[in-house]
Amino acid sequence: MTDPLTQRMVFLLSVWAAVILLSIALSPHFLQGSTLSYLLQYVPIIGVLGIAQTVVMLSGGPGIDLSVGAVMSLTGLAIAGLFAAGMPLVLACLAGLLLGAALGAINAVLICVLNVPSLMATLATMFTYGGLALALTGGSPIGGLPDWFAVLAQGRVLGIPNHLWLIFAPIAAALHVILSHTITGAHIYASGNDETAAYLSGVQVAALRFRLYVLSGCLSSVAAIMTLSWFQTARPDAGQGMELLSVTVAVLGGSHIFGGIGRISGTVVAVLIVTTLQAGLQLANISQAWQLGAMGVLLIGSVIADDMVRDRLRGRLAGLA
Amino acid sequence: MVLFASQSEFFLTERNLVTILRNSVDLAVICAGMTIVIILGGIDVSVGGILAVSAVIIGRAYQAGLPDILVAPIGIATGAALGAFNGLLIARTRVPPIVATLGTMYIFIAFLFLFIGGTWISGLPNTLSFLVLGDVYGIPAGVFVIGAVYAVAWALLRRMPWGRRVIAVGSDEGAARLVGIPVNRTKIEAFAFLGLLAGIAAVLYVARLRNVEVNIGTNIALEAIAATILGGANIRGGVGSLAGALLGVLFIKVTQNGLVLSGVSSLWETVVIGGLLLVVLVLDAVEKRGAG
Repeated sequence: MTDPLTQRMVFLLSVWAAVILLSIALSPHFLQGSTLSYLLQYVPIIGVLGIAQTVVMLSGGPGIDLSVGAVMSLTGLAIAGLFAAGMPLVLACLAGLLLGAALGAINAVLICVLNVPSLMATLATMFTYGGLALALTGGSPIGGLPDWFAVLAQGRVLGIPNHLWLIFAPIAAALHVILSHTITGAHIYASGNDETAAYLSGVQVAALRFRLYVLSGCLSSVAAIMTLSWFQTARPDAGQGMELLSVTVAVLGGSHIFGGIGRISGTVVAVLIVTTLQAGLQLANISQAWQLGAMGVLLIGSVIADDMVRDRLRGRLAGLA
Repeated sequence: MVLFASQSEFFLTERNLVTILRNSVDLAVICAGMTIVIILGGIDVSVGGILAVSAVIIGRAYQAGLPDILVAPIGIATGAALGAFNGLLIARTRVPPIVATLGTMYIFIAFLFLFIGGTWISGLPNTLSFLVLGDVYGIPAGVFVIGAVYAVAWALLRRMPWGRRVIAVGSDEGAARLVGIPVNRTKIEAFAFLGLLAGIAAVLYVARLRNVEVNIGTNIALEAIAATILGGANIRGGVGSLAGALLGVLFIKVTQNGLVLSGVSSLWETVVIGGLLLVVLVLDAVEKRGAG
């Protein structure tokens, strides 16, 4: 219990429990099955974006990707558009993943090659990608996806939606293993903690971060595919607000905004907290306004809490030395 | 400019240029404050929220029957208070400015919805609209408003000890602290100044359009940041130019206006601003590489 990261996990789980209790108190409908199914369908989408944000933040820089939502909108439209133009859906999805990677690579070139601060670079690409999504479609959604495609996000096994089994869980598990049990993971943490030290010990910091921004673009298009399967249409504003949500989730989950600290498990619990809160407030008929406000307080509060954890961690390391 | 002039003969008419100027007033006023905050090494993505909340409070104050002489200061004070709240949060908690203002943006928008309840406030009095729409000796009044705001900002930044402190904090916060500069106070003051200008922008906005919409201020933070960076400010702090920011504002507004007149859908606006910002960032980076 003295380990600050364990304390953080206990803290997060208690927050989640508190949010669940609050939701039950606010609305008698919360415990019905439909809430749970909505939650489980929404979790993988925010989850994948939150994981993308976590990985980018972990590698330091400071790293942030504000374009995740815009990449999600744009790739979703591309997939639906390509399918409408006659391409088989599976190929269109692959093309969407490639497009996501390419958009991520543009971010990566700006940040890792040209040394533009990640915040500015992805703010500019968020504008550009999001604007393209609106401008190319004239603001109207693209629909007409086949019914069988809904199996991914609407079908379920043992009551749990397929995309949680097949996409979210494997991605979360794989990245968790990579971060905690491989050399690449150690390099990511090292770059985030002290990039000079990491570079001097032979870590190719810029190349590593480059790949993580590409990964973030890919994961955003994975989120787009899941959204497509859920709603059966590609909306040009599908990813709007997702950049803030993903940052909130990553930071609430314990990722430090300047890198080096964070875990996938924290992000996953944070996703559960945020989606439960949203669903709870929604069911209690509490207006959108309070939901936004709650998200803002959560974001700021979690950074303050996180700062305290980091201070204690520093203190402990100093104590060891 | 030449491109747009060739696309539409209307572009270079006096009336259109005055329209561009009138549409630029809010953004220009906010950009003066954004420049100072960016020189300080900060950033504020919540200015749109501050503008919105101030505008709603102005609208409600008018509806309560208060006269201009009370309404305008209330709006400006609201902006300053919200800005000071941002500054306090950033100075006291060490939350990075981008994250703190993202959070307060949510909170301000929540306030906006609570006050406005999802409908427009419209039919507000036009007693102050001369500030934007009027003209003095044939010169549009907006020129004087922008001139006054930039003169004050310039004096604060370049002719007062306070400006030196802002530049010092933006260049090297640790060093500034060591030589005894009240870093936290300077931060709070800079963010409060930006908030105050957002309050003024809200007064001008209401004066110009005489209504308050639900989606007021959604793009203005990003436009302000883009204009400031276009104007030569360094996002890492320490460097920035008020005159440059003003040119950045004109550039953005002229581009938007030109696109509309050329018959391009307004949906392309965001793409163009984003693209411009990207070009500037890349040029800046390439230049630095050459220098290094």
